[in-house]
Amino acid sequence: MELVISHLSKTYPNGVRALDDVSLTIPQGMFGLLGPNGAGKSTLMRTLATLQEADGGSATLGGIDVLRDKDEVRRTLGYLPQEFGVYPKVTAEDLLDHFAVLKGITGRRERKETVKALLEQTNLYDVRKKKLGGFSGGMRQRFGIAVALLGDPRLIIVDEPTAGLDPAERVRFLNLLSELGENAVVILSTHIVEDVSELCRRMAIINRGRILLEAEPLAAIDALAGKVWKKVVEKDDLAPYEAAHQVISTRLLAGRTLLHVFAAERPDPSFDPVDPTLEDVYFTAMAGMHTREASLSGAEVAS
Amino acid sequence: MKGPFLETVRFELAYYLRRISTWVYFGIFFLIAFLLVLAAGGAWESVGVSFGGSGGNIKVDSPYVALQLTAALSIFGVIVTAALLGNSVYRDYEAVIHPLFFTSPVTRFSYLGGRFLGALLVNALVMLSVPLGLMAGAAAPWTDRARFGAFTLAGHLHPYLVVVLPTLLLTGAIFFALAAITRQMLPNYIGGVVLVFGYLLAGSLMQDLDNERRAALLDPFGGYAIELATKYWSPAQKNQLLVPLEDVFLWNRLLWLGVGLTVFLVVYARFRFTHVAAERASRKRVTHEETASGTAYVAPRRLSLPRPARHFGAAAQLRQYLSVARRSFWTIVGNRYFYAIIAAALLFMAISAQEVGKMYGTTTWPVTYAVLDLLGATFTLFLLIIISFYTGELVWQERDVRLNQVHDATPVPTWVPLAGKFTALALVIVLLQGVMLATGVATQAAKGYFNFELGLYVRRLFGTELLSLVLLAVFVMLVHVVVNHKYMGHLLVILYVVFSGLMSQFGLEHNLYRYNSGSSGTYSDMNGFGPWLEPFGWFKLYWIGWALLLAVLTNLFWVRGQETRMAWRARLARFRFRRPALAATLVAGLLVLGLGGFIFYNTNVLNDFVTSREVEERRAEYERTYKRFEGAPQPRVVGVRVWTDIFPEEGRARVRGEYRLRNKTEVAIDSLHLMVPQEVEIRRMAFDRPATRVLADPEHSFYVYRLAAPLQPGDSLRLEWEVDYGGEGFENSVSNTRVVRNGTFFDSGILPSFGYAEGVELGDDDTRRKHGLQPKPRMAPVNDPEARMNTYISRDSDWIDFEATVSTSPDQVAIAPGYLQRTWTEDGRRYFHYRMDSPILNFYSFLSARYEVERDRWVGPDGRQVAIEVYHHPGHEYNVERMIYGVKKSLDYFTANFGPYQHRQVRILEFPRYATFAQSFPNTIPYSEGIGFIARLDDEEDVDYPFYVTAHEVAHQWWAHQVIGGNVQGSTLLSETLAQYSAMMVMEEEYGREQMRKFLKYEMDQYFSGRSMERKKELPLLLVENQQYIHYNKGSVAMYALRDYIGEERLNGAIRAFLEANRFREPPYPNSLEFYRHLQAATPDSLRYVLTDLFETITMYGNRARSASYTRLPDGRWEVTLEVEGNKIRADSLGNERPVRMNDLVDVGVFAAAPAGKPKEAGPVLYLQKHRIGSGTQRVRVVVDREPASAGIDPYHKLLDQQAGDNTVEVKPAAGGVRATRRP
Repeated sequence: MELVISHLSKTYPNGVRALDDVSLTIPQGMFGLLGPNGAGKSTLMRTLATLQEADGGSATLGGIDVLRDKDEVRRTLGYLPQEFGVYPKVTAEDLLDHFAVLKGITGRRERKETVKALLEQTNLYDVRKKKLGGFSGGMRQRFGIAVALLGDPRLIIVDEPTAGLDPAERVRFLNLLSELGENAVVILSTHIVEDVSELCRRMAIINRGRILLEAEPLAAIDALAGKVWKKVVEKDDLAPYEAAHQVISTRLLAGRTLLHVFAAERPDPSFDPVDPTLEDVYFTAMAGMHTREASLSGAEVAS
Repeated sequence: MKGPFLETVRFELAYYLRRISTWVYFGIFFLIAFLLVLAAGGAWESVGVSFGGSGGNIKVDSPYVALQLTAALSIFGVIVTAALLGNSVYRDYEAVIHPLFFTSPVTRFSYLGGRFLGALLVNALVMLSVPLGLMAGAAAPWTDRARFGAFTLAGHLHPYLVVVLPTLLLTGAIFFALAAITRQMLPNYIGGVVLVFGYLLAGSLMQDLDNERRAALLDPFGGYAIELATKYWSPAQKNQLLVPLEDVFLWNRLLWLGVGLTVFLVVYARFRFTHVAAERASRKRVTHEETASGTAYVAPRRLSLPRPARHFGAAAQLRQYLSVARRSFWTIVGNRYFYAIIAAALLFMAISAQEVGKMYGTTTWPVTYAVLDLLGATFTLFLLIIISFYTGELVWQERDVRLNQVHDATPVPTWVPLAGKFTALALVIVLLQGVMLATGVATQAAKGYFNFELGLYVRRLFGTELLSLVLLAVFVMLVHVVVNHKYMGHLLVILYVVFSGLMSQFGLEHNLYRYNSGSSGTYSDMNGFGPWLEPFGWFKLYWIGWALLLAVLTNLFWVRGQETRMAWRARLARFRFRRPALAATLVAGLLVLGLGGFIFYNTNVLNDFVTSREVEERRAEYERTYKRFEGAPQPRVVGVRVWTDIFPEEGRARVRGEYRLRNKTEVAIDSLHLMVPQEVEIRRMAFDRPATRVLADPEHSFYVYRLAAPLQPGDSLRLEWEVDYGGEGFENSVSNTRVVRNGTFFDSGILPSFGYAEGVELGDDDTRRKHGLQPKPRMAPVNDPEARMNTYISRDSDWIDFEATVSTSPDQVAIAPGYLQRTWTEDGRRYFHYRMDSPILNFYSFLSARYEVERDRWVGPDGRQVAIEVYHHPGHEYNVERMIYGVKKSLDYFTANFGPYQHRQVRILEFPRYATFAQSFPNTIPYSEGIGFIARLDDEEDVDYPFYVTAHEVAHQWWAHQVIGGNVQGSTLLSETLAQYSAMMVMEEEYGREQMRKFLKYEMDQYFSGRSMERKKELPLLLVENQQYIHYNKGSVAMYALRDYIGEERLNGAIRAFLEANRFREPPYPNSLEFYRHLQAATPDSLRYVLTDLFETITMYGNRARSASYTRLPDGRWEVTLEVEGNKIRADSLGNERPVRMNDLVDVGVFAAAPAGKPKEAGPVLYLQKHRIGSGTQRVRVVVDREPASAGIDPYHKLLDQQAGDNTVEVKPAAGGVRATRRP
């Protein structure tokens, strides 16, 4: 099963182009959707999760037209929105059970088992009788995952799931996701580069509604090898460098500024080579150094 | 310090003023106010509404009407206040932005005060739309300008200041406070419900005059206080005065302002900038659980996701639907606020149940239908709030907690959440109906009544009412889903309900286009649901079809996902409109078309559907076309024989009749003008000589026959006719309550009659103008010789011979005036033959029901016997004995004081409560089950109105059936006022003066309220134009006062003399002036002014006692000094008042201490004498033997006085203590 998105576009009434001719092919496995806040990630995710309409374009999952056969999609969908609440006065078990019914698990015993299993998997079994109103952010997030996983979905969409999780929970959560990726299409949207680099076999970078890069993370990193250079400068000296070079990122380092620049050759001896990371890929893409075609071809080379 | 405060206010103002909903609220209220004025102002010909009694003498732009409209709209404004003030702080919680505010250095004062003030200002601005809308309406040119002309700016702004703003402060403070403290919106609604209950409660307590003032204080909106303050305003005053901010109204405003202020201060004191208070309880758990989930290392486990079988078929959808329904239901029912609402409702019902069916302050037995009516009336608003509120909550349930995305992405068809939630809502309604049942039964039991008709409870609560409520809920659901804005949804729902109640007045009268129409009518113990049930069923089926369509529409527009713009929703709706929706639409559409057609066939083909507008047109047309025949010589009916076949099960009757007519005029008559009411169908119309029909105009009920040979003066003629009434299908709104399964009652009004009927003409001048007719006087002048040739109840006859044969179903008894000659059964029907042995008015009735009969006998002092029979519904025995006793007492008094009774029998016959009157026909008194049969007289002080009504109707056997006035002004004085006086005398003899005082208090109240609604002109009693408030209510007071001044003997002597001179008089018929001459003859010159005041003018008093003190005299007695104020007022026909000089004899009374809980004047009388009282303040000194407690002027309210409460004051010891006097 493969999710194919082609030429998807969406413009909001206020004129914002949230999706601008987005085309992606997402195979089974974890797929990272990386982009800054407001890039259009959530719009894309919601559109794929049947909650939003696209102005144009199409998306198919296996043989299903995602934009039209919504009911079909929903039967195989597990969706964890970026932001969601719960009924404060309902217990975790109770609400999960309700969602299980809604997801078509109508057999009483099977439902009970499923709910139990999912509560265990998400480490919520001990608090299953507690009201959701008392849950912490992480617990709530895990509860959301449990809901998303109900009914063994083939398409899992998780929107910024690690925001608000503490480090341990994040690790556990990402582990869970990666296992899911073994037999489902899992789309993970995030603005945290590590999430993608640690988990995803494929990824796309999106900004202002456009896909800037679609690639395998490792191949994309490889493609950058030898093209990223660094230099530490005084904060005040930044301007001339920005004028002279393709600066892709700056970061403070012990009170001074660490520059990363993109260049086919070492700009000058004061620059040191960098072993590129996914973050460099991201910033390179954001800085507009990748064209889509280039990255595609890069991806093809790599695969 | 003022920086942050003003900034908060500014921010709040800016926030709301930018919001579109603020302006939508403004627009809605402006538009409503504007349209209401246009509607009442006659902008649309088909619209016939009146607000605050507008029309006639009261101008639409008068201060009074503006006040009433503003007060009413201010109640609806509560929804806006809930939205604006309630959200003012709550939105911070909702947006979880409150920590930012709470941690900023703003003070509590700036935050709360600023928010409150800001939102309040916005709300005040929104409500400014009401006076603006009213003024715009008043200025609109396309209205009937004659209905305007009392405009003042102050008249429109004053209500805003004294009604809208104080109410706003109160409701605003409550909503603001509740939301700020509880951090929830739900308690707001409870607050709203409680306010509405205060309003309803005030309304139900107002019915008892003794409670009025308390009740008026209780209304948080002030409407009932206004009602009390303006209750007696004459039309002229309504056009001129602003409601004075004094007395009850002032106290009401102060009380509720105080409540509002208190609430605000309490909140201010208790409010803390802390983390969510409401979650305190659960916070402990959070910390506890945090450790459970821990942050320590947990070994990764292999993920093994269960792969349960999943089902998406119909069975699974059913399960899902049930799951949603169950969850939604418990969401509502599991919330403690739900019980708060129920508790408030129960409390309210417990109080208002005290008022079951009050009349003259006397309650009725809490029979099941009465309790259901009471619960229904008070619960309707409540249920509406519940339905709208919970619909809103359910529609927004997921979105309110932001679980909607997860929910919307589940693989359930859209109808599942919709239907599930709707089912939950329906279940809640069922539950509430159950609560009502329990309450009803408990109410009955608490009042010592144990005949619980559970079947009736179930049929109404879970049958007719539930059906209507569920249909309403479907519509409410649609509104909330489509509007997709909670408060706007509530507002629209309320407006819809109000409008749907007014639709018929707006000219939209056919039930086919009034959603959820179809009334279950008036339930009667005698006749059950009666003729309403069948049309109710068909209409509701029809609306179920529509409801299905609405449900499909709701489903199409159900918000799922993030697209909430209408364009997208419309596109989605088109997309969703696929096979299941299509099929449902088709089925529903067929249902609607099929049933609609069937209904139309019944209402418009089998029956005649005429709008009020068309009725008006017909009446106007009738006048224009046939007025020329008025006064054309016609023969008079001198004898009537009828054969009436009543078919109760079929709701129809066939009446065959034979009129004997005589030409009593001086001229030959060649044309006969017949009126045959449009609702009967003529089967036969045959004269005993050649005649041709030259005109048949069924629409206007007018027929003309030309006799081949004119009828010569003195000659006779016979007419045989046969008509059918009723029985064809069902009507749009049931008008045939005459012939019914059990309790048929109809009179000669639906049978053929002769001559142009002036009574058909439009009477109301506004309406006449609308149809291009000149205003006309209500009645002919008192001396009009031509008009006096007819009585005021018939125009084609004088005294007639009468004979009737009535048949009915075998289990029923049928009655007509006359004495029963014979009864027999033939062809499975029961026949009764009645004949009257003396001439009667051409005015008779037919009744048929399954009766039980109670018989008795009155024996006069001369040994004459009168048979007394009461035909009543089995189970309604409560007051039958009283009625019989009332008949006997009446016969005693009337025969002794006025003259003999002309018949040998008095029959009282119960009929269903479709009308609530009793009416006297010759020896026959139909008496509604709604007045008296179930009256409950436990307390000796209760006004025994079954007894009184009986006496009144028996008195009509003299006053109307022995002497009857001509068709001129003042004639109803001769029948109604005299019947009223006669009944009072009987009642006083039986119950004493104390009960008469109570009775007269209501009479006086009704007179003053009645005149305040006069649409044409108020007349003195002597010239009364069939105005009930004059001939009944003022008549009672006037006659009672006159008796007090000249004595019962003299008064009765005058009445007797009048009767003797006019018994069974032939035309010209007597008028009130003839009667008045007898009164004048009996009145000493010194009291002539009393007659003038009571009969010739509109005279009122404003007497009051200012203070009273006593000193102990040396001889041990007490001298009371009473300072009184005399005011005498004359009013013109519009109620313009002017003071007149007073030098009148008025009671001065001194009383010993009254028993606890009784009015002051109920104490033992120490002194009661008439004193000459002049205008202005004066002192009266009186010496009494015992210690006085109170004293007053006109303490028994014998004179017409709008402020009766200030006539008596406490007597206090004089400042000087014991006064040494020279007196012995």
